[in-house]
Amino acid sequence: MYVRLFAAIWLLLCAGLAVIAWGFQAPFAYDPVGPRAYPLLLLALMGAGAAWLVFKPGADTEKLTRQALLRSGLCILTLLAYALLFEPLGFVLSTALATFVLGLLFTGRALPCLISGVLMGVLLYALFDYALDVPLPLGVFEALVES
Amino acid sequence: METLHFLMQGFDVATRPTNLLVALFGAFVGTIVGLLPGLGPINGVALLLPLAFALGLPPETALILLAAVYLGCEYGGRISAILLNVPGDAAAVMTTLDGYPLARQGKAGIALSLSAVSSFTGSMIATCGVVLFAPILAKWAVAFGPAEYFVLMIFAIACLGGMVGDKPVKTLLSALIGLALATVGVDSTTGVYRFTFDSVSLSDGIQFVIVVIGFFSVSEILLMLENTHNGQKAVKASGRVLFNFKEYCFTFWTMIRSSVAGFVIGVLPGAGATIASAMTYMTEKRLAGDKGKFGEGDLRGLAAPESANNASACGSLIPMLTLGVPGSGTTAVMIGALTLYNITPGPLLFEQQPDVVWGLIASLFIGNVILLVMNIPLVGLFSRMLSVPNWVLVPAITVISMVGVYAVHSTTFDLVLMIGLGVFGYILRKLDFPLSAVILGFVLGEMMEDNLRRALSISAGDLGILWGSPITLVLWALVVLMLALPGIRWMRRRKQIKAQADASAA
Repeated sequence: MYVRLFAAIWLLLCAGLAVIAWGFQAPFAYDPVGPRAYPLLLLALMGAGAAWLVFKPGADTEKLTRQALLRSGLCILTLLAYALLFEPLGFVLSTALATFVLGLLFTGRALPCLISGVLMGVLLYALFDYALDVPLPLGVFEALVES
Repeated sequence: METLHFLMQGFDVATRPTNLLVALFGAFVGTIVGLLPGLGPINGVALLLPLAFALGLPPETALILLAAVYLGCEYGGRISAILLNVPGDAAAVMTTLDGYPLARQGKAGIALSLSAVSSFTGSMIATCGVVLFAPILAKWAVAFGPAEYFVLMIFAIACLGGMVGDKPVKTLLSALIGLALATVGVDSTTGVYRFTFDSVSLSDGIQFVIVVIGFFSVSEILLMLENTHNGQKAVKASGRVLFNFKEYCFTFWTMIRSSVAGFVIGVLPGAGATIASAMTYMTEKRLAGDKGKFGEGDLRGLAAPESANNASACGSLIPMLTLGVPGSGTTAVMIGALTLYNITPGPLLFEQQPDVVWGLIASLFIGNVILLVMNIPLVGLFSRMLSVPNWVLVPAITVISMVGVYAVHSTTFDLVLMIGLGVFGYILRKLDFPLSAVILGFVLGEMMEDNLRRALSISAGDLGILWGSPITLVLWALVVLMLALPGIRWMRRRKQIKAQADASAA
């Protein structure tokens, strides 16, 4: 069922993208193919594959439970928040927070998660920024360092 | 003779102190990543790749690191397979069948040491194969023009569909998704923006690292959410630590046979370690007949998949080095790594970058010895790694993924894109689409379009060039064969079911 749904959505998406791809035109012809043919070919093949799956989705995949959906939803939200706060809050703080929340999601107890979160934020920052020379955002600590 | 000379030069590169250190580190990390259930060689290579790049390692060192991780994963996968009955990576599924029963019988030490030696035998035989065949193939591959390359890539994708077997349409669709993702960004020949939706961040395409980490690390995190355990109880390794001479002789020919078979399967583009281990296990089981105790702890059932998966891992380096076409998902990632360094893998690599190629090959020999030496005494340490709880492991993976992606461009957009791709990858995985096909498609994407357009420029738009030479014709024939395989298998299965139905009816 899910496969069929996915294939149907994908088919629609292919159609939409094909409309966009139709507009790819080079002002001058540099080569006989042009920028449009190859994406259109791929979209056509993908559309054919998706159409096949709409009719023959094969064995059914396992059903999603409400609880599993909720948990993966929470996990995705945490990851997104982490990504968005990565620069404004800086590596140390955002990492500590994300590690703490993710730890809780993966059934860790609160105190150990908090400790591992803070440790990871500080230690990994030291490891990457000083030892491995990978620049990371300081965020809210920037003012502290500069003054 | 020439080969030997180059090989010595390679050993020169591989034995430099930094490279030795990197190989040691890679082997260690690889083993750990391999033994952690769920994390396979692609994850290991994907996590370390941005790090290697950000560290500014020279290309040969970075490649040695990645190859050591790759090999290490193939070694590590067997530990959790034997002690936990959980395959550490997909290729170790077959190892659980006989490995776990052996551990239950108190022969865990024997199983672990014998499988380490099997892995070693497999890798060694395959590495010798790489030394023998790669230069020949590279010389031969110089004759490949754009049209031949284009058809070769079609063959690689058809191989995936044909060999993976039970879901050819899904596999092909996955590969197409990868190919389509690669078209995002500015078109290199005409400067037209494609699928960028007016976003500046997308104008030079989706970065390879973001795709790999999103698809493999982020989706893995979401997948791990489903089976939250807090460290698993492993079977205690007890009894004899080492196998004896009799047991070695008993499995000797199995190892040799499986290594050679694994190597050949590995060389085929698209068909990877998982298929190699499954095929050799089945073959050994058939060869042993009724006398074998396969499934209840037969040593041969342990030796066969382990030597085969390591052999195919090394074998898959051949198409990568000589043709620039990946033989497995992991080598696809390694090709991506090379392109980050502006090195295009392919036949010319042997002439232009002998240090990189032969350094890598020599480091395979060294890495193997390191892994064998590391794996027998340190098995206790590695098996303790299995009890690291997920609430520490998952956040650590998350943070390393974030840093890896951030190191490329330092933009928030990339981080969000990574998570978006990860969620998409998770959905694909839940629906049983093979993700390694997506990565293979993504890596091949740009090369494929370039070669197609170059070929058609040569012929001024005449499609005939795509089947104009003997090489392309042979490749097309192979493509047709590969695409027909699932159909043939399906027909045969139907016939079998029908025969059974007839027999039971009569």
